[in-house]
Amino acid sequence: MTTGGDTRAGRDWVRFAPLFPVVLVVVGSLGFALAQSSALERDMRVAATQNMLWVVTQTQMELLQLTLAAGRAAPDADDVARRYDLALARLNLMRQGPQARYLDDLGHLDRVLDMAAALEALDPLEHDAPAALHTALFDLGQRQSAQINRIANDVMTHDWDKTATRLDDYRATQRVIIAAVSFALLAALAMSWVLLRNQKRLHAAQIGRLRAATELQQERNASAMYRDFAAIVSHQMRTPLSLIDSAMQRLARKGSQVSAADVAERRAVVGDAVDRLTRLVDTVMLLAKLDTDQVKARFEPLDMAAAARSLCIEIAARHPDRCLRLTPPEGARPIALGDPHLVGHILQNLIDNALKYAPPDAPVTLRVFAERDEVACAVADCGPGIDPADLPHLFERYYRGASACTGNGTGLGLALARELAVLQGGRIEVDSHPGAGARFTLWLPRASGEGARDG
Amino acid sequence: MTCARALCAVIVCAAAALPAWAEAPILTLTGAVEGAPVTLSRTDLTALPQHEIRTSTTVTDGTPVFEGFLMRDLLAAHGAEGTQVVALALNDYRVTIPTADFADFDVIGALYMDGVALSPRDKGPIWIVYPRDDHRALQDIRYDTRWVWQLVELHVE
Repeated sequence: MTTGGDTRAGRDWVRFAPLFPVVLVVVGSLGFALAQSSALERDMRVAATQNMLWVVTQTQMELLQLTLAAGRAAPDADDVARRYDLALARLNLMRQGPQARYLDDLGHLDRVLDMAAALEALDPLEHDAPAALHTALFDLGQRQSAQINRIANDVMTHDWDKTATRLDDYRATQRVIIAAVSFALLAALAMSWVLLRNQKRLHAAQIGRLRAATELQQERNASAMYRDFAAIVSHQMRTPLSLIDSAMQRLARKGSQVSAADVAERRAVVGDAVDRLTRLVDTVMLLAKLDTDQVKARFEPLDMAAAARSLCIEIAARHPDRCLRLTPPEGARPIALGDPHLVGHILQNLIDNALKYAPPDAPVTLRVFAERDEVACAVADCGPGIDPADLPHLFERYYRGASACTGNGTGLGLALARELAVLQGGRIEVDSHPGAGARFTLWLPRASGEGARDG
Repeated sequence: MTCARALCAVIVCAAAALPAWAEAPILTLTGAVEGAPVTLSRTDLTALPQHEIRTSTTVTDGTPVFEGFLMRDLLAAHGAEGTQVVALALNDYRVTIPTADFADFDVIGALYMDGVALSPRDKGPIWIVYPRDDHRALQDIRYDTRWVWQLVELHVE
């Protein structure tokens, strides 16, 4: 049994597992190069200390000195003894340790041993007749000079051969080192590439997961929205449809006794219901278009006061019992830049909303005015105002405040109004005085040149 | 029996030769030393504290044991004042050694190798020996030239 965390750690380990051999290869080849170069260094050190040619030359020179000292017309016995010691010391050096092995390899060790033995046989300490000894030493020196010359010659050629071989080895080692380092470099590059690729994949996978999660949430939101939308719209459609239905049934029940007044009355009811249906369908269609970015505002200079007036007349005809008051602007009529159809929609929504919440006997007032670069139309009612808790959600789709007294309302009107205002570069402001009323103000940009004329 | 008698004869001979051999001057100190030049015999040198080094060398096999006086003791005993000494060998080989070597390492003037007195017919009577196996730094080939054998003179500068 492994927990989720362990599994993930395990997966990470697996992702980087291919790197371990690469690391091994990099470290291995660098280590190999290091070992090769250190072997090279050791070899050079040994080569430097094994200065055989120097040893032989020293022997050659000391033998010559001895021969000279012994061959003088009147040899100095002490000088000859000293020279003897030195010459013997050099021959002794040649027949010891590494020097002896070197000469053995060269086939000269026996010769050196013979030379030393011959010299030792003429030890000045053991000879009482100096003149004979000096003559013997002079003769020996002359004989040995040829031998030591030959050894020196062979040592030199051997050293040169060895040096040449060593140089070949150095070059070969150098090539091996270069190859090992290049290989390590390539492996390191490959490793970096794999690391980067894995990092990228990991990153892409994370982004993918995040995107999928976001899309899923959006989809959920959308489907929830359409569920709500369908429920509300069908409910809102049912009311006018049942109004139409009942009006028709009454007419049907009366049969032939239907009077002209009856017909006029039912027609008004049906007309009103159809009107509501039409507006509902309009709103729904407009929202659907907004959601699919199909609403294209056609901007044109727009007389806000005129638009408000014609709308008031239209609504007053529909609600003859309600009072709508329009306060026109002072001075020049402010011209906004907007789409007349969309502006009509917004104002209609705001007025409908005000009529819904205002007491039946209280007026709904409209005021058109200009301020700086904007033109405004404020719609105010004397209703109960808006609960402060509802204010932040007022313009959200399907949001219906706690104080929404009637069941009448889609929760779409204000949302649509605001979205349409924003589409035209404007906004909707709301002031609420609980108990005294609410005011919604549509702000639209002024048509260019208007501000200057007014200011 | 014959062998034993022969050995006795050698020992008697050696004993007879001993005083002259021990008192003969084998090393001269010159330069910045008290009472220069100072000539020293084997007796003078063995009177200094003796020190042993077991080390490999570049010209012998194995690790012989060398015995002799510490170079710094010798220089101190004769009030040497200088930063370097020029070591001179029997065959006129000459090399300059910084005195710092003697302070930093137990460098000896070896009189014996593996218990046998070094002879002028080998590398004696004195061989400057560094404790090369005890210090990695001394395995540098630059130190190898300072192992002067057949040492006869030290000039302090």
